[in-house]
This record gives sequence, C-alpha cells and structure tokens, in this order.
Amino acid sequence: MKIVVCIKQVPETNDVTIDPVTHNLDRRGLAGVMNPFDKNAVEQALQLKDADKDAEVVLLSMGPDDYAESLREGMAMGADAGVLLSDRAFAGADTLATGYVIAQAIKQIGNVDLVLFGRQAVDADTGQVGPIVAEFLHQPQITYAASLRLSGTNEVTAERLLEDTKQTLVATLPAVVSVRSELNTPRYPTPRNIQLSFAKPLTVWHHDDLDLDDSRLGQAGSPTIVTKVYAPEPVKRELTPLTGTPTEAANQLITALKNRQLI
Amino acid sequence: MPSTTAAAEKLLLQMVDDYTAREIAPQDMPMDAAGDFPAGFVQQLTTTGFLGLMLPQEFGGAGFGPEVTATALNHIARGNASTAVTLEGHFKTIDQILKFGTPALQQQLLPSANDRIFAFSMTEASGGSNPMGISSTATREGDHWVITGDKIMITNGGLAQVYCVLVKTAPQELSVFVVDQDMPGFSFGKREDFIGLRGTPVGEIVMDHIIVDDDHLLGKLGDGGMIGDSAHDDARILMGAVLTGIMEHELKIATDYAKERKAGDKPLTKLQVTHRKVADIAMRKETTKLLYQRAAQLKAAGRPYSEEAAMAKAHGSRAAVSAGDDTLQILAGYGYSREYPVEHLIRDARAMEIAEGTVEKMRSAIANAEFNK
Repeated sequence: MKIVVCIKQVPETNDVTIDPVTHNLDRRGLAGVMNPFDKNAVEQALQLKDADKDAEVVLLSMGPDDYAESLREGMAMGADAGVLLSDRAFAGADTLATGYVIAQAIKQIGNVDLVLFGRQAVDADTGQVGPIVAEFLHQPQITYAASLRLSGTNEVTAERLLEDTKQTLVATLPAVVSVRSELNTPRYPTPRNIQLSFAKPLTVWHHDDLDLDDSRLGQAGSPTIVTKVYAPEPVKRELTPLTGTPTEAANQLITALKNRQLI
Repeated sequence: MPSTTAAAEKLLLQMVDDYTAREIAPQDMPMDAAGDFPAGFVQQLTTTGFLGLMLPQEFGGAGFGPEVTATALNHIARGNASTAVTLEGHFKTIDQILKFGTPALQQQLLPSANDRIFAFSMTEASGGSNPMGISSTATREGDHWVITGDKIMITNGGLAQVYCVLVKTAPQELSVFVVDQDMPGFSFGKREDFIGLRGTPVGEIVMDHIIVDDDHLLGKLGDGGMIGDSAHDDARILMGAVLTGIMEHELKIATDYAKERKAGDKPLTKLQVTHRKVADIAMRKETTKLLYQRAAQLKAAGRPYSEEAAMAKAHGSRAAVSAGDDTLQILAGYGYSREYPVEHLIRDARAMEIAEGTVEKMRSAIANAEFNK
C-alpha cells in the first residue's frame, strides 16, 4: 500500500500579515513548523504502516527550500520518503493552483492508494486543498475524519465529525481523506530517527519535473485573491428590553415576533 | 541549505522543546511535591529515545555530539531540572564506558543503554570528595573478581540498572568495575530524602560478594581515580547546562511577573531595583551558558576541558541559587510560597554546589590548573 501525506509548513506564530503587493500571506523571516493538523495525518499513515510493514508512506509538500525541514520532521516520525515541490512558477498560488500542482505530483508518484491531509492549515485556515486535490484526481474524498480504518478488500471507512453530526462514510480506494486532530496523538520523532531520517530520500521536483499546464500555475492560475485577513467586528444590534410582568413581557415578545412576520 | 548535522540538531532541539513543554514541564511542581518521577514518566522518556541521545549509532543510539547533548539538557531543565539531571547521570556513565570499556564490554552493555539507565557511583559513608577514603573492594579470587561494599548518594541510585563502581583493588589502588542489578549479591539500600531535585532518585547500592570477570573492569587496574575525574568532568559540563536551564526558568518567572505587577502606581518593570535584579539574573544565566558551551566545544574538539567544566559548574551553581534568590525577592510573598516554583528552583540549584564535586573542590581544581600553566 502506498500512502501520500500532504503537509504544509506554517509560521510558528499566528501573527501573519498580508503582503500589500501580492496579497499573499507574508511568511518572510518567520520560523516555520509543520502544520499541527498535518501531524495527525502523518501519524495516521504511520499507524497504517505499523500494521502493514509493506506499506510505504511518502510525504509531499509545496513551498520554498526550507519546507524540507517539515518533510524531514515527518520522515523522522517514520515516513519513508519526502517530495518537495519547489519552483518560482508555483509561487503565489491559491488553493486551486496549489491543489492542481499537488494532484499532478501525486499522479507522478504513481500507484497511490490513499492520500491524507490535515483538516486545514493553521495559517490560512481554508481546508480546501484536500478536496481540490480529490477533484483533480477524480477520486472519492472524506473530509474531517475523526477515525479511519481500512475495510473490505479495497475500502477506507471513516467517521466524519462535523459540528453537530457524525457520519460514517465508506470510500473505495484510491481515495483522499482529510483528518481531524481528534483522530490520534502524533508520535514524537526519536533522537535516533531524527539522525536516520537524513539517510532517507528527499526529492525536490521543480516545474520541469512535472507534467503541468502553465496557465494553472502560481498567481496567474489563481482565481482568488486574499485582500485582507481580519477578525470580523461584532455586529451591534438594536435591543428592545421586555418589561413588566412575565405575562406582559411574553405578550410584548409575541407582538414583536408577529410584527417581523416570524410567527 | 544547512549541513545535515546542523539540520539534525535543529530538529532534535525542536523535538526536545516540544516534548519538554507537553510532557515534562507540567510534571515539575507535582514531581517536587511527590519526591519522585510520576508513574510511567521514565518509561515514556525511554520510549521517546532520550536515553540513547548521545549513544553512538553503532550501539543503537542517536549519536549526537557533546555540544547539542548539553544544549538538549539545558532545554529540558527549563521545564524540569530533575529530568535533566537523571539524563546527565546516565550520559556521563555511558561516556566512561565509551572511553575506557573494552570493545567487548561496550558491545555487551551499551545497546541496553537505550532502554536501561546507567549510573556512576563513587561516594561512600567513609569518602566522598576523598576517593581514597572508600572501603569497597574488589578482591581477586581465581580468575574473577569479588566485589564487596556499600555505595551511597548515587544519582539514579535505585532507578538505574547498570552501575560503574569505584573500588579498591589494593590499599592504594582505585579501579572501576561495571556491575548489573541482576548479578547475585546486588541489592538496593535506602533512598535519600534530599531537599532539591526531588524527582531524581538518589540512593544506595549494596554489593555483597558480586562476582565479575576481568572484562567488567574499566580501563586498567589503578585507573579508578582518573576515570572518576573523567566522569566528573563530563558531568560538570552537563550540570552547567542544567543550571543554565534553571536560570532561564527563573528569568522567565521574574520577567513575566515584573511585567504584570505594580508597586503603587508604578509597574515593576519601571523600577531600578527590578532592573538590577533582572539584569543580574540574565548575566548569570548567559555566563554559565557560555562556560558550559565552551567546555562542550573543547570536548567535541578532543581538547582538555576539565578546568572549563569545573568553571561551568562552580560558577553556574552559585549563579542559579543567587538568581533564584533575586527572583524570589521580585515575587516577594509569592516567591516565598510553595504555590510558585521559585523556592524549589533554588533547592534544585543548591544540589549542584555539592554534587559531582563541591564548589570548594571545583575552585581548587581551577586554581591548580592556573598554577600549572
């Protein structure tokens, strides 16, 4: 079984600004760490590998050279190999353009049975790349998985946890699954495995190493632009106090609701 | 791109910081109150591979060098000094087996150092800083040695499973043998009830006619004093690192508190009396850090480091006690309360004015090194 885990390196701080010119997240000068949600995806893949010694776990990331640090961390946790997609042509990509390049890389890796994502990245918080990759690959997808197991001869079963509901979904492999942090507790890389991870293959694929449609790449291939990141101001609403006895207050409430044609 | 070594060391310290924040620091206060490591704590450290951090890869370890090993203990001690000191006792013992053990003994023992804690024992009721005062002996009987004696105040005593023991092989001859808790004649004695580093077990072993072969001798007969000094040197570098971690913890407590607290209308951060104390804590921390890093660099380069290691521990132990005292004074009543960790950081640091050679002995060693230049 071949499992690809897509990981992202994110700034260690939450204090991220927007570049006024490119409108992209400005990560310059910020120390990077592996997106915490992605560690749950790596751990899930490693648990599948623990149960099936023939399973192969490949980590995939897209970004500048220093994103290799997060790949290496995942390899120190136990992944077999890492692939970094790095080229100026990929810079400025939104989730669609990112998903396109990642999907093309997964096709190039070949014979991938399961693609895992963390639920979302903590810097951009979209959670979109996993589903986009599934669409590009024409594969079934399960998002927000809080449990995951291989089932049948060629299936994955996951419990999808949403705000107020749980769904148990079964998908035929190959499939794409994004996982929640409730799924597991990621293991620590041991000091020895940190050292040994540097003997594992970490490949960098540039633009010319992949079969790509240039019109889908980078900023030119990105239909969305982030113009501003902010916490919404709380909306101030008009308050009408209910007064009098409980009966009078209830009558006022009923009248107000009727006037607004809510009852 | 950084070198492989630098990248691995960065990843190691990232993991150490993560593990310390999540698994070690939350146990700091409970550990001091309970006077022991929590159940499963040492097993988790073992599972996460900390015991093999500096053990060469050929023995199943990670093979990190002296500098980053010391830095890792520095970072762990920011969360809890007892954990760092237990690792220090283990690492210094491994170091002596690497330096003085035969290849056969290394092959026999060291792979298990990933899973079993090792300890080095010198002190006896009749001799601490005076090794010739000890009364444990190894006596030749036929083709083997018979070891008898009582060792006390051993860092990790009772927790460790493998012990390097300093014994007399002749009235004026000190030697070091390696014994295992599974050997017939080996038993544990009492555990000390020390006032600081309360997580780390410090205890006694009793050796009643333990029989070992020649291959359990470290170095040659008569090398005991030299091996003991070597163990001290390696321990003192790591203690400088632990003391730096304690002072970083103290500095954080002092600055966090000063930023929040007001005296009258004035924030503590605006008072010159606070400035002096915080600056002193920061300078003590930084000088100790430079000293242990210097000693570790010399060790890594294969150059003499005994004097620098003694400086790191002698300077760092008093510095950390004084820094704790200043921190306590900034926090005033809260600093004097057991609800805050300051008082136990002082007790923790105080241990290192005694352990691995007293500060008085350190000063003699430093002075003699200077006289001999």
